[in-house]
Amino acid sequence: MIRIKDLEFEYYERDEEENLTDMINAIRGINFDAGKGDFIAVAGRNGSGKSTFAKILNCLITPIDGTVLIGGIDAINGTDEDIFKIRKKVGMVFQNPDNQIIGSVVAEDIAFGAENIGISSDELWERVFEALSDSGLGARMADIKIDELSGGEKQKVAIAGVLAMKPACIVLDEATSMLDNKSRWEILKSIKEINEKLGITIIMITHNMDELLIADYIYIMDKGRIFLRGKKESIFANKEMLKQAGLECPAIIDIKNDLVRSGIIHDGRIFSVEAMVKRIKYEHPNSFFLDTKLEKNHIVKPKINPVNAILFNHAKYSYNKESVLKDISLSIGKDEYVVIIGGTGAGKSTLLKLIPGLVKTDTDMIYVDGVDVMDKSTDLSNLRKKLGFVFQYPEQQLFAKNVYEDVVFGPRNTGITEVEAEKRAYEAIEVVGLSDEIYDMPINKLSGGEKRRVALAGVLAMQPEYLILDEPLSGLDPEGKQNMLDIIEALHKEAGITIVMVSHDMESVVKYADRLIAIEDGEVLADGIPENVFYEMYLEADEKERELYNLPVIMQLLISLRREGLEVSCLVKDIDEGVNNIKKALNID
Amino acid sequence: MLRDITIGQFYSVKSPIHELDPRVKIRFVIIFIILSLLDKNIYLFGLLTIVFMTALIMSNVPIRHMFKGMRGIVLFILLCSMINIFTVYGETLLRIGGLTITSEGILKAVYVFWRMILIIFMSSLLMYTTTPTELTDGLEKCFAIKGNVAMGITIALRFIPVLMEELDRIMKAQEMRGAQFDKGGPIKRIKNLRTVIIPLFQNSIDRAKCLADAMDSRCYKGGKNRTKLRPLKYKTKDHIVYVTLLLLLIFGIYFIIKF
Repeated sequence: MIRIKDLEFEYYERDEEENLTDMINAIRGINFDAGKGDFIAVAGRNGSGKSTFAKILNCLITPIDGTVLIGGIDAINGTDEDIFKIRKKVGMVFQNPDNQIIGSVVAEDIAFGAENIGISSDELWERVFEALSDSGLGARMADIKIDELSGGEKQKVAIAGVLAMKPACIVLDEATSMLDNKSRWEILKSIKEINEKLGITIIMITHNMDELLIADYIYIMDKGRIFLRGKKESIFANKEMLKQAGLECPAIIDIKNDLVRSGIIHDGRIFSVEAMVKRIKYEHPNSFFLDTKLEKNHIVKPKINPVNAILFNHAKYSYNKESVLKDISLSIGKDEYVVIIGGTGAGKSTLLKLIPGLVKTDTDMIYVDGVDVMDKSTDLSNLRKKLGFVFQYPEQQLFAKNVYEDVVFGPRNTGITEVEAEKRAYEAIEVVGLSDEIYDMPINKLSGGEKRRVALAGVLAMQPEYLILDEPLSGLDPEGKQNMLDIIEALHKEAGITIVMVSHDMESVVKYADRLIAIEDGEVLADGIPENVFYEMYLEADEKERELYNLPVIMQLLISLRREGLEVSCLVKDIDEGVNNIKKALNID
Repeated sequence: MLRDITIGQFYSVKSPIHELDPRVKIRFVIIFIILSLLDKNIYLFGLLTIVFMTALIMSNVPIRHMFKGMRGIVLFILLCSMINIFTVYGETLLRIGGLTITSEGILKAVYVFWRMILIIFMSSLLMYTTTPTELTDGLEKCFAIKGNVAMGITIALRFIPVLMEELDRIMKAQEMRGAQFDKGGPIKRIKNLRTVIIPLFQNSIDRAKCLADAMDSRCYKGGKNRTKLRPLKYKTKDHIVYVTLLLLLIFGIYFIIKF
């Protein structure tokens, strides 16, 4: 289907006078093959060249050297007609749902590609409905307006739009990186189904390691080269190599390695929680009893400093008569590290925006340090000085000509002297771990991760007492995520800043946060120490909705084992603790 | 706040008006507007109001939704038309300080307000009941616009809500860093607005690049050999509306000549 040999691609950067300033080798000598019905993942850190590679597969950019044969057609020396033939064969789904949807209504957008290749109107409707069902959207979605859809649904529309062109291959360029866990797994599930049922080749570009588990074959890219390639088991056996490429092992693989090392199971092809449970049960059949029930959870409320920092007093908020938050009562103490989780539309972002009064509700509902935020007499601009707010994708708000100018913008607004403002800016840039060489750098010369850190520095330069962050990890690769988590941890531990953060990254939550608040449908579902809250969420969910995707993998495993009849304690902070619990339950020393 | 502005945004619901051919709707609205501009008399405006109300009721677009989205504009029109009250010469009714209110002024103000409301509400009804794609298909046929220009209009309309949301988010982010958009002199305000306009512009350019890639990858070649999911084909009800339009034109002109 796809054969690529010795692929090379580079691009030049020129200054205003068209002088060459920089030459970037994006792709250096890639060999790549994909057969019919393959499920291939291409992983690599940000800037490894993986997205450039994806674009080559779709003829969106032309490489400078090498051979690219797609379905037997030469993609480099082909005519325009050939290129359209290739694009008909290889469909592409991009990262940002909003930037790839053209129609205003679902059916219109799904038909767009098929219209371009001249399908008759009757067949168009047939294809639209077929694509709606294959993508998992369902026929009733045909007339829904695009801006009423969630991010996950929009991505499904994008996939359906590709399916309507009847492609032989779909390339997904980080298509799930902007979604929450639930939508992410739904999308992955439908991709897998499309691959299995329709026999369509899937090439999935990602830096989310657990997504690699559903692929058959994996390419790891680094610095424009193929760094590793092979089947899942051989790739994951190379943890050190993965680290060099800025990646990590999926949690389930780490757990497996620990279990093997502790002598609990023998090594084997285990890529999912279910397979792991089966394996443990198979090797230790006598430790499983039928009558083990899930024990009741005793939520331990964290000790809250009596000086309540942020207080929600039966807070309600509705938008267009639709109730977004229904009666939220919470107090977040000073010096806490609180993470808020919840699905799309649960009301997390609204909850955050209420704190500095960025959205309005009634008085006597939100207090910060005893001040009623919604009271008209409250000096909001003064109150906001101590509330740092990092929006989702904060790098999209950078405006100045260089890093320093952007970071110093906030302090300058507070009416302090220029010298003091300057000092704060420099300090903030240092705190986020950027070197002083970066001050004069234009924003567009920075990498995605650096831009996000500059945006964070811009907020920190205000010297806030509370830092409110809306999904600060989304879109970052494993290294970038770790980096951001370390910065936040240091701000909390060393600078004593209160952290209130919305996150979808369940693995890191248990490790760093003191407290977890789960929000669902505008209400607090559970609130307490992270592992207890995860457990509570699982217990509270309806039987049929008891999907485990929202829990850290080690807890998924422990709960599944317990449900199968192993007397194991499920509340753990990390893999070590979990493996120890399993050992204890199986009576292995 | 900004998200409340719903003007120009399609309202997805089933109705006979939604199902009409966009060409019919566009021509209807144009003739409606021309009629309202030709003369001002109570019979003509009454007729046009009845036509608009009928169309609105048949469209299943909730009246509340429509009014909510246009509150700002209605207020603006109201203020503009009120100027007439004080500026038109005629029989003096009342004198407040240096201002005189004339009966002719009041009458003029009422007509100006009425006319503008009719025009704006009727054209937004067209937007509420026609998807941007259909609208551009219609415009393409009615005014012989080229396919790629029409596509540009479709995309512009499609991105209004996306950009509105982004504008809102960037403004809030800069406000949190102490930017004040409603204080200070005009120069300071413009200077502060740059912190919103620049990223909005930059992001729009990035979006445009992504969108261009997405369109290319789905074989878009500027409208050549493109088929349509909803090809424009007149149906019986479209012909009925054309007949209605002709009647409206005849009655309208009759009222203009007679009164």
